[in-house]
Amino acid sequence: MRLRAHGLVGRAGDRTLFDGLDLEVGEGETVVVRGPSGCGKTLLLRALAGLDPLAGGRVTLGDRTPEQLGMPSWRAEVTWVSQDVPGLPGTPRDFLGVVGRLAARRARTVDDPVAIASSWGLAMTAWDQPWSRLSGGERQRVHLAVAVAGRPAVLLLDEPTSALDPEATRAVEATLADRACVWVTHDADQAWRVAAHTVELG
Amino acid sequence: MTGPVPIGPGQLALGASLLIAHGLLSLGLQLGLERKLLIAGVRTVVQLLLMGWLLVPVFASGSAALVLGVCTVMIVLAARESVGRVSRRYRGIQVAATVALFVAGGSTALLASGVILAVDPWWSPQYLIPMLGMILGNALTGISLGLDRALAELDEGRGRVEALLALGATRWEASRPVAAEALRTGLVPILNAMSAVGLVTIPGMMTGQILGGTEPSLAARYQILILFLIAFATALGTGLSVLFALLAVFDDQHRLRGERISTRGS
Repeated sequence: MRLRAHGLVGRAGDRTLFDGLDLEVGEGETVVVRGPSGCGKTLLLRALAGLDPLAGGRVTLGDRTPEQLGMPSWRAEVTWVSQDVPGLPGTPRDFLGVVGRLAARRARTVDDPVAIASSWGLAMTAWDQPWSRLSGGERQRVHLAVAVAGRPAVLLLDEPTSALDPEATRAVEATLADRACVWVTHDADQAWRVAAHTVELG
Repeated sequence: MTGPVPIGPGQLALGASLLIAHGLLSLGLQLGLERKLLIAGVRTVVQLLLMGWLLVPVFASGSAALVLGVCTVMIVLAARESVGRVSRRYRGIQVAATVALFVAGGSTALLASGVILAVDPWWSPQYLIPMLGMILGNALTGISLGLDRALAELDEGRGRVEALLALGATRWEASRPVAAEALRTGLVPILNAMSAVGLVTIPGMMTGQILGGTEPSLAARYQILILFLIAFATALGTGLSVLFALLAVFDDQHRLRGERISTRGS
């Protein structure tokens, strides 16, 4: 299913960050979003996920809008992974339990996030540690693995490898190579490696 | 059993002289509390005499409208007090707290006077007004603690809530941990009070009834009833307040609208 965005308008307060932005993501395709800090990259991802309201424009997945699909189902298909990876109560394994019981995800076939994260060098034992004891890089891989394992139609990734070493970064890129992504990165080399198309903001 | 010994101006003055000892202590140790002590002492006298003086005609009137009017004023004041203790705001928080206290406090007090005690008439001020007062005084603490906790978590813990929203959680699924924690926080004081009661202190209402000449075992049964009423009203009031806060801070597209929470004074 293609994600199509047409004529998007993004505002923060009374500042217009983008106006008339078009974007299209085909199956298995990665679109890299680049631009200076504060240019609206994060707002764009959050708006595509329906977490922030858009000031204008229209987003569809296949031929359906978020309203037609219902916002929770939309987000299960168009899944955002935050740049700031929050610690949560309990352990990542507890989080998996909560996520697995969400109404919008119950009927989905999911892959095993533990196996996915393990291919990125995350120790199996990390899933049973309290979040407070995990490093930034470990948290980042947990959140990313949970999102990837849900097989969303499109992943919205905000600096997904910012806390990872080069080896883990390459492993993540390999996993995501055949997924549809909108990918924000400051790293020009990474952009060159993963991008099918590039959108410049600001 | 006899009624209480009457207290006249002379006895009150004797009681007030205890504050002078308090003031001398403050002067001697240079605590700087004399002014505060004076103001607090005067407020105690004025507020309580005024309340007693106002309640006399209400009790004597035999007018349901007047009694229920006093109850409404009590609820509105309690709601103001509860919101005043919360460090964050959302639009409509005052109305929401009033509705929560109206439903929780009002229904509990009416249940007690009309059904459990079945006093005649059901609005009998001797029962309704003091019970409502005790219920409101405790429920407003639960509401302010619970609301404060919920709004703080939605504000500072936005990332945690959105981590769930982003994976397809509804606003209710995503805010469940927040609501649970807020309710727990709001109910701690009454649960503590219920566990500790009677071990160390004789609670205020029971003290009052015993001084008023009620047999201690009957006073104890009244105290048990009022604690259960308070616990129910606190749970209901806190639950409603947290629900109203969630409805105000999330929109119908399951978005957490952080800009709808303001910190006090901003």
